[in-house]
Amino acid sequence: MDDITSLTKIQLDALREVGNIGSGNAASALAQFLNRKIDMAVPSAAILEFKDIPDILGGPGTRVMGIFLKVLGEISGRFLLLIPEDTSIKLLKTLIPGCEIEDPLKMSELESSCMREVGNILAGAFLNALSALAQTPMLNSLPSMTFDMAGAMIDSVVADMTAVSDKVLMIETSFIESEEDLRIHIFLLPEPKSLSILLQKIGVV
Amino acid sequence: MSVVIPVGMGELKVARSPETLAVYGIGSCVIVSLYDTKSKVGGIAHVMLPDSSGIDKERINPNKFADTAIPALYDAIKNEDGVFKANLHAKIVGGSEMFPPTEDYENNIGRDNAIAVKKALKKMGFPLVAEDVGGKRGRSIEFDLDSGLIRLSILGEEPRDL
Repeated sequence: MDDITSLTKIQLDALREVGNIGSGNAASALAQFLNRKIDMAVPSAAILEFKDIPDILGGPGTRVMGIFLKVLGEISGRFLLLIPEDTSIKLLKTLIPGCEIEDPLKMSELESSCMREVGNILAGAFLNALSALAQTPMLNSLPSMTFDMAGAMIDSVVADMTAVSDKVLMIETSFIESEEDLRIHIFLLPEPKSLSILLQKIGVV
Repeated sequence: MSVVIPVGMGELKVARSPETLAVYGIGSCVIVSLYDTKSKVGGIAHVMLPDSSGIDKERINPNKFADTAIPALYDAIKNEDGVFKANLHAKIVGGSEMFPPTEDYENNIGRDNAIAVKKALKKMGFPLVAEDVGGKRGRSIEFDLDSGLIRLSILGEEPRDL
């Protein structure tokens, strides 16, 4: 599976289901962490031109919080959480009593560490569900976090996956906490060499 | 306001005064600009990776790689009216490391891109007159082909000209 554009509809549907199961678990972890009810948008598994990815967030110059983790194991990949500015402020105010942050560019060490923990919890929950499904352990690296332009984060994460193809496979999902309108976008990008293993494990070779 | 032409990842574009070339949200990519000061023609290559060697030449997009994008940029700009190689100079922007390294993950594509782009410019003999590369921040630029100046924006900082 060197050429992701040759994925069949059945395989894409199965990958979407992977996103569904992983983000379902991540949503319940977040709901427990926040003590709120969290709804999940229907996940999508899509093969996208890398240059179109920032548009999902509102364009390459959009201010956004990014938390990045490597997926480690037989199936390796990259896990990127992109959290719109308003949601990141709401999350910090919910999680840290007395937090009065207005500009995420000026996060304190406590606030940064809190957001990295959110990333850790979501990635851990997502990958736990996936490990059970694929019957192979998948772990996440320590999270790395920044607040900056969406395009800058995406090019840094996908660059070396695009040597041959202009397209990347991305499983994307978002959470919505209806009352507060919290939005979190989760992107899972399997390494091209891991994709055939993942497809085999979920039984859609 | 002049026409603003955006240049996406792995793209290459050439334009002339009074147009403006723009790139938003630059991370590990390196933006290479060539500008002819006399004819006010300029071009940008949005380089994503340092080196195309070992990759099937039939399948690659030369605009993505430092070693192939700079010759491609020169090929695209050299036939424009009034452009002479001796009048061209280069500026480069980008090559940051957006996600600080953790103990089990390190990403140096940005640094490698900047090194490779400088090497390719040197090989072609283009003087590098300005640069803003490295660090951990995203960048956006607007390249005004009338003045030849590149307006650089970083979140939380005052824009400045290169």
